[in-house]
Amino acid sequence: MKRSTTNIGEIGTTIEVGDYNFLFIRNMSATAVEELQHHAAVVIEAVNQDYVRMVATSIRANPSPDIYLKPIFLLKKDASETPLIDVLADDSVKNLSELESLLPLVGRIASRSQELTFINSISFEAQLITKIISLLYVRELKVIEPVPYTYSNICYYYPLLSVNFDHVDEYMALEILNIGEEDGIFRSEFVDRVYLCSTCSSGHLSYREVCPKCSSSDTTPDDVIHHFPCGYVGPMKDFSNQIDDKLDCPKCNKRLRHIGVDYDKPSIIHECNNCNHSFQDFYVNAKCLSCGDDRSVETLKATDIRRYHLTKKGELSAVKGLITTTKDIDEVIGTIKFDTFKTMLKYEIERLKQTEGSSNICAIHITNSSHVYSRLGSELQRGLLKDLVTVIRGNIRTADVIAFQSSSTIVLSMSDLPAKIGKRILNAIPELLHDLIKTRFDDLDVHFECRLVQLDYTKSDEVHLQELLEGYF
Amino acid sequence: MEELLDNYIRFLYTLTPKHFFEMFWFYFVFEFIRYFLLEFFVLNLAKVKQWVDRPKREDARRRLFIENPLVSILIPGKNEGKHIYKLVNSLREQTYKNIEIIVVDDGSDDDTPTIGRSLENARLITKFLRNDVRGGKASAANMALRFAKGKYIIHLDADCSYDLDAMENILIPFFMDENVGGVGGNVSVRNHKESLVTTLQAIEYFNTITTGRTVTSYLGIYRIISGAFGAFRADVLHQLKGWDIGPGLDGDITVKIRKKGYKIKFAQDANCLTSVPNTFKKLIKQRLRWDKSLVRFRMRKHKDVLFPNHSFRFLNFISAFENILYNVVLNFKWYVYLTIMLTFYRPLFVNIFITNVLLYTATNYVKFIMYSLYRPKAHASMSYFLVYLPCMVFYYGIYLRVVRTIAYLQELLFKKSYQDPWNPPKTSIHARYLGI
Repeated sequence: MKRSTTNIGEIGTTIEVGDYNFLFIRNMSATAVEELQHHAAVVIEAVNQDYVRMVATSIRANPSPDIYLKPIFLLKKDASETPLIDVLADDSVKNLSELESLLPLVGRIASRSQELTFINSISFEAQLITKIISLLYVRELKVIEPVPYTYSNICYYYPLLSVNFDHVDEYMALEILNIGEEDGIFRSEFVDRVYLCSTCSSGHLSYREVCPKCSSSDTTPDDVIHHFPCGYVGPMKDFSNQIDDKLDCPKCNKRLRHIGVDYDKPSIIHECNNCNHSFQDFYVNAKCLSCGDDRSVETLKATDIRRYHLTKKGELSAVKGLITTTKDIDEVIGTIKFDTFKTMLKYEIERLKQTEGSSNICAIHITNSSHVYSRLGSELQRGLLKDLVTVIRGNIRTADVIAFQSSSTIVLSMSDLPAKIGKRILNAIPELLHDLIKTRFDDLDVHFECRLVQLDYTKSDEVHLQELLEGYF
Repeated sequence: MEELLDNYIRFLYTLTPKHFFEMFWFYFVFEFIRYFLLEFFVLNLAKVKQWVDRPKREDARRRLFIENPLVSILIPGKNEGKHIYKLVNSLREQTYKNIEIIVVDDGSDDDTPTIGRSLENARLITKFLRNDVRGGKASAANMALRFAKGKYIIHLDADCSYDLDAMENILIPFFMDENVGGVGGNVSVRNHKESLVTTLQAIEYFNTITTGRTVTSYLGIYRIISGAFGAFRADVLHQLKGWDIGPGLDGDITVKIRKKGYKIKFAQDANCLTSVPNTFKKLIKQRLRWDKSLVRFRMRKHKDVLFPNHSFRFLNFISAFENILYNVVLNFKWYVYLTIMLTFYRPLFVNIFITNVLLYTATNYVKFIMYSLYRPKAHASMSYFLVYLPCMVFYYGIYLRVVRTIAYLQELLFKKSYQDPWNPPKTSIHARYLGI
């Protein structure tokens, strides 16, 4: 076994095994999962479960296939099982000397990863479906199994998919899977049914018996007493005698003596300590522990948890590229297709050879797109993208073109413009976009990164694009 | 037949006024004077008063809607689930809107609990209360009363339905006179076309309730607020701690309110429709129960109103006295009349019988047609009943009289009302022991 150890600061350690190098992440070390794109696999020291979960989640949640497809191995001394982490990871070893046994798996994953085709889509749903079917294909898996998970917002977790969502947006994993099923990528079977908050879709609910009038659970029960001789009926407190704790009828003043003979207790009444309402039957309310919404159980969203199987079409889509989904977003007005952009770039480079002018291509990248889109859903995502294009279009010249490289990256051309001016224009755009987002969407934090590449006719269009889009997925 | 007719015509020719009175004194002294002349006279006075009081009534109506007090509608009953939805719908149509509806299920063994709960959940009724063990109508009504929050209480039967202004009209008398403690609604027969017996009851209800109670109310001797539709001041009912054990609890509560010094009024324009027994056999069962309660409550429990004491009130005395006289005493007096006729006028008995039938029938026609003119609203065409009026002599004069007699004797001699299954034995035992 060939092993060389290279210290790369606090980030991690590279371990070379055979023809592959592994990124070794020690327990509780600072991590930068982007490093993984230069490695064949990652080995995480599994001492602290929360730390392992955090690292594994950030790898699988990364938008770049160069990262999320990479095998994850755990270095753990014991054979303890942690269902969620075990699904996110590919295997485990007890010590680093066992890594060699994993080489065939690493090779197979690397090889199958090469077979995949990624078609850029500006639909977040399409991106996620592509991601999940790629993960399944590469690992030769067919099933997406829901795992009951206490910390999941919907009580069930689809590890490979749910990691892409914030805790509060986990329910959207179900929507993604349903879209995939509608498109024939998956077929499913029933596993369980959960009830989710109608406001925030959380499954963490507290079921309580409450007053039908004010929904308070602060109630006191009391026996109802029927006094036979005079027919008086009322709660026991009406009969309570302050002096000797005996029961006296408030109507005829007779002392109650023998249940079944001179009185009985035909029912129970509850009195609400909040609104004084008297009632016999509680309402059952579900209080959402996430958003605090307190409503009748009838208003909860009954949601099926299903087990999803990858279909032939799903496998094929992973290899040939997922063309479209029913929820795909049409071309945004004011933009051109990315392929057209590439063609135009090629012609522009050719033109520069003749004119020796100064032209640029730019990229505006949403660095936290997964977070943003998982919160918005396809309708709002479409709205956001349209708004972004409108703002950008208003700040560039009519002759310049805009295209989506992906849902998180917008590319644009700035022809016949000095790079300095181009940069100034480009750098002003994020502020305008932030202002727009602030007025249109509540509590939505979008991070932009801008990049400008001046065209050099000695380089090919592909090189320009590589330079422009490096690290953007 | 021909011979009978010849004989009868000869009888009429030979009849002198002196003989006429000797043979038909019962009709003239009791029936004609009380139930025709006096009634007709007072009915006219009542109508005049009603006309004179129009501005006062309009003012009371205005004050009712300005104050807009919460009114609790109590619907106690057993196995009444099938009627509740229809009833609730009729209540939602009411012109008076500030109501709370409290349904008490008195130990039903059908699907009433399910229906009640679902209506409560749908907020169609305010409160559905259930006692798993049956306690009787009074206990169910008292339970509803205990949890009622309204300033006025309206007691309904679940199988009745109401004109859309019925609640408004039954509340107005409270605003016309602050000393009114209870108001009775006008109960008519819904299923009057179902059978002969229901048709006859419809005529009877018209005579005794619509007309009779207008008269007694005017005279201040109105004595029974029907359980099917009655309104009460909540403070008065709470003061009395609700209803006592039945059967006959509606008459009992009315007397108790009167004894407290409050007035009882009849609201002729507060219309309620009820379904009455559709066979003579079922009717006997119902009337035996009703008639027994007259003896039990008027002659025993509330006999104090007949004697001078510290709480003596003349109108209460008249109310009870008139009731006992005309329903109990004259009922037995009729048998005396019958005996006299059979003893001293035996050869003429058939002719006397025919004349009585003709006299009563003629009176019934005159009364029915004349009184119909005083009726503000009718749920059935008056002409429909005309053909059935001759039957009323036999229905009211013989059938109901016999039933009444049996009921009075059963109650007077054996206190049978305490064994009536209408009330659970566990409560009746105590009522009998206490003499209430």
